[in-house]
Amino acid sequence: MSSVSLSEDQRDCYQELTNVAMGQAADRLARLLDAYVVLPVPKVNLIESSELHMAIQDAEADAAVSAVCQGFIGAGIAGEAMLLFNDTSFSDLATLMNYPGMNNPESLDREAELELLMDVSSLLIGACIQGIGEQLEIHFNQGHPVVLGQHCLAGDILKSGNHQWTKTLAIEIHYTLEHVNIDCDLLLLFTEDSVEKLNNVIDFLLD
Amino acid sequence: MTTKVLICDDSSFARKQMKRALPPEWEVDVSFAGDGVEGLEQIRQGNGEVVFLDLTMPNLDGYGVLEVIRKEDLPAMVLVVSGDIQPDAQERVRKLGAMAFIKKPIDADKARTVLTEYGILTEA
Repeated sequence: MSSVSLSEDQRDCYQELTNVAMGQAADRLARLLDAYVVLPVPKVNLIESSELHMAIQDAEADAAVSAVCQGFIGAGIAGEAMLLFNDTSFSDLATLMNYPGMNNPESLDREAELELLMDVSSLLIGACIQGIGEQLEIHFNQGHPVVLGQHCLAGDILKSGNHQWTKTLAIEIHYTLEHVNIDCDLLLLFTEDSVEKLNNVIDFLLD
Repeated sequence: MTTKVLICDDSSFARKQMKRALPPEWEVDVSFAGDGVEGLEQIRQGNGEVVFLDLTMPNLDGYGVLEVIRKEDLPAMVLVVSGDIQPDAQERVRKLGAMAFIKKPIDADKARTVLTEYGILTEA
């Protein structure tokens, strides 16, 4: 089981597939918020799940975040998507979404924040997972989203994961918006067992 | 007549995908570039009559390449092939003089449609 590996060609391919999928997700977010989403190069790494916090290079471990995770499965490939939403982003997000009754975005309560968090995470996670699935010709079924925490430290959330696998393929996408203070990290984590199957699909595309 | 085609993308997988999507009957001489700087070099050498240009690249991105092409009036018909498909991105590249905007992932049908639409590929 410890023989999973990632060649440079495979990494490049994962990066390009993610690039396309995250672009589709960003397009949906941009249209919803009428803003421009800055797209970085996604980071693809094979890591120990105990080192998950190291996957997040951009976000600081001591940033206060609210987080959601959602599992997905299809064609024997399983994983979970995790969205870490920076808590300082909520007021601008509420403003851009014309959140009902929000005359004063500073006074957002936890419930309102939760609703915004769920809206953004279902959009970004859904579009990304489906975008990758379409390119691999795999239909991913998505589980229910689970709130991992509100106003927690990013580092604590990543350490608390109860993963059954040791190695994981981690894809990190750091989304930011132009001219407004909204940023979040989307992590796609594939189980160790899935990596070999995924690599086979990738090799077929590379051939 | 053979057309000089340049595929400019930092991903080797994307370059391969693009080359595969070109119509098989189109007589082309294909060159590759891994970033904007390399891309401009190839265009200056006359290897990019038709350029398939990615936007997000290291060193010099696709927007930068378009700016230089316009400033120096380089002879290149640029078709942007991008994963960033936001309305703003599409508008920006058109303003910078790109002929067309193709949404990734590229495939043979998309390539044929665009090349035919702009008269680059003519029915034999």
